[in-house]
This record gives sequence, C-alpha cells and structure tokens, in this order.
Amino acid sequence: MTRNWLLPILAGLAVAAVAWHGTLLATPYVLMSAAMKKISSANGNGRANVFGFGEMATADRQPIVRPSPDLVYSSCVFNLSQGPVLVDVAPVPGKYWSVSIFDARTDVAAVRSDRDTGGKPARLALVRKGQVAPKGYDVVQLDHDKGIALMRILLSDPAEYAEVDAIRRKSTCQAVSAK
Amino acid sequence: MKPWLRYSICILLGLAGGAAYAVHQVRSGDLGRQVTNGPWSTNTDNGTADASALSRARVSLFGLLALPAKEAMYFNAHNDSDGAPLSGNCTYIVSGGELEARWWSITLYEGEGWLVKNEANRWSVGGNAPERDAQGNWSFTVSPERAEGLWLPTGQAPKFDLTLRAYHPKGALLNDPANAKLPTIKKERCA
Repeated sequence: MTRNWLLPILAGLAVAAVAWHGTLLATPYVLMSAAMKKISSANGNGRANVFGFGEMATADRQPIVRPSPDLVYSSCVFNLSQGPVLVDVAPVPGKYWSVSIFDARTDVAAVRSDRDTGGKPARLALVRKGQVAPKGYDVVQLDHDKGIALMRILLSDPAEYAEVDAIRRKSTCQAVSAK
Repeated sequence: MKPWLRYSICILLGLAGGAAYAVHQVRSGDLGRQVTNGPWSTNTDNGTADASALSRARVSLFGLLALPAKEAMYFNAHNDSDGAPLSGNCTYIVSGGELEARWWSITLYEGEGWLVKNEANRWSVGGNAPERDAQGNWSFTVSPERAEGLWLPTGQAPKFDLTLRAYHPKGALLNDPANAKLPTIKKERCA
C-alpha cells in the first residue's frame, strides 16, 4: 500500500515545487499587466505610448497600490513592438522629479532624476535589442516589449499643483514612428 | 486504485498546494524585510535583477513601481517601537530627528497599501511639516481623534501601517540602514 503511493507522492512534491516557483515568477508579470491595462485605459482607450497625467492620489483616487499623496504621478504604458519609444521629460525647477522605466517583470531599467540631469530635461530612448535610437537620447535597452514609464514630481505644498501640472504636460512619451 | 489515479491525485494536490503556498507567502509578507531597524523594515534590492522571486512578487503586490534604493528607500512599520501591532484605535507619537535624505515623508496605509478615508483628508506628513526644536527634533500624533499639533488620522482603519519614504538617501540611511537613526513610534493610549 505505502509502496504504491511512494512514487506518486514524490511526483506530487516535485510538481508542488515547480508550481510554487512558477507562481512566484508569474506574480510580478500578472500584477504589472493588470497595472498596464488600468493605466492605458485611463490614459485613453487602452492606447500605449502616451503620457497620462493623473491627479494627486487621495483615499477616493488610488490608481495603484501604496500611492504617495505628496507626489504628482504621470505614467505611460510603452510598447516597443513597432519600434523605439522616446520619453522626453520637462524639468520642474526647484523640485524633486524623476522618471523611471519599469519592464514587464517590474525591474527598473533606468531612472533619471533632476539630480542626474542637473535640472535639464531627461531624454530617454526605450529600445529592444537591434532597434536604433535617434541621436540626442540616452538609450535604455529593455528585455520586454511592454512596461511603464513613471514620472514623479514632489509637491511640498498642494497649492503648487497648478504650476507643476502645467509644466509636466510638456513632457511626452511617443513612438519614434509617431514623431 | 489504479496507478494513474494515484499519480493524478498527487500531481493535482501538488499543483494546487504549491501555488497556494506561494500565494500565501506573498500575501503574508509586506514590502520586504531584508533589513530591520526598530519597528521599520526595508528592502535593498527593489527593482533590481538581484531581487529574489519572492521579494519581487511581494513588492509587486505591496508596492508596485517602487524605486531602487539609490533613488528612494521605503521603510515600512506594522508595529510600534515596543513591537505591538499598530492599531487604528490607539494614539501614537512618531518622533525623530533629521534624516539623511533630500526629502522624506511618512504615509499611513491599510490593507495591501491603501490610503484611509478621514475627516482631515490627510494621508501623510512631509518632512517639511513638523516644527523642529533647537536640536532639530520633531514629532507628530497618529490617532483616530483629532489631536493637537500635527495630526495624522487613522480614520476607521482597524489596523494600519506606516511607510517612511526617503528620497535620495545618503550616509548611513543608504549604506547601513539597519543602524541608521530612524523615527520612533510610541503608543500613548488606546480607546
């Protein structure tokens, strides 16, 4: 009886280990994919390669888990399947700001903040291997077609929102083919 | 029982059990506990290829799109400085000194990381908000009822956690977060 079950149980344990690891590996992709769907539908009918300029997070408006209520977030779901995507970020004088590029696995491919650019604009070209970026851009090579470019701007006072909002809307996220 | 049936049962149980254990492990964690310092814990490999599968899965659930440590550090506290879980019907004093970062804030969340409805519409305290004494020390109150001075409301949340964000951290905060000077969370009383 016991011998009859020994091999099936060992097989079950092996499958359990694979299922455990597979679930852990899949979780970031699944949650990132859900976030990309949510962001791109908020940015305009599921379109990719365009910045969405979200309002500040409140208890009634939380587009993503653990939002900071002190930051103004702008996000772009990018898709490199048709070619490189260019991210041009307009600097906001005197404020902490950054743009970060997350791939489909949630890894950070690049971050540029006002500290890195010395207050100048950040210009990133997101490419897959083999794609050629236009001149004048920092090249960021990704292992996945899709991901999220996220811009953060810190407000020390909510009254600064209107001024900062006007500046951030000069930032763009667009496919090279759309330029 | 036929052998194929025995295999089928064990493989199905293995599939379900393995996946369920992974979900449990991810959900029962928080942003990460690679480094602890008093009530605070943090990860040092957020967003990097070095992060383990479990760490990456937890961050994607509790803090998707978190920045890497050089840019920002996220310290999370589920307990007060005496080790008791943070409770929404208790009053706490959070106090500290200057932090080695360009800017910091402390935000109150419930569940996986959601801002809590409250009458003051306040969800965080920015580093520029608390008044400093002559030594540069500051404090504020976390409580369900309106408090004197700077107040961070717990709203109706039965349990909550605090996230300390430190942007452009430097010195010990970045290089030795286990021993950096971080704020304390002291319980005053409970309703």
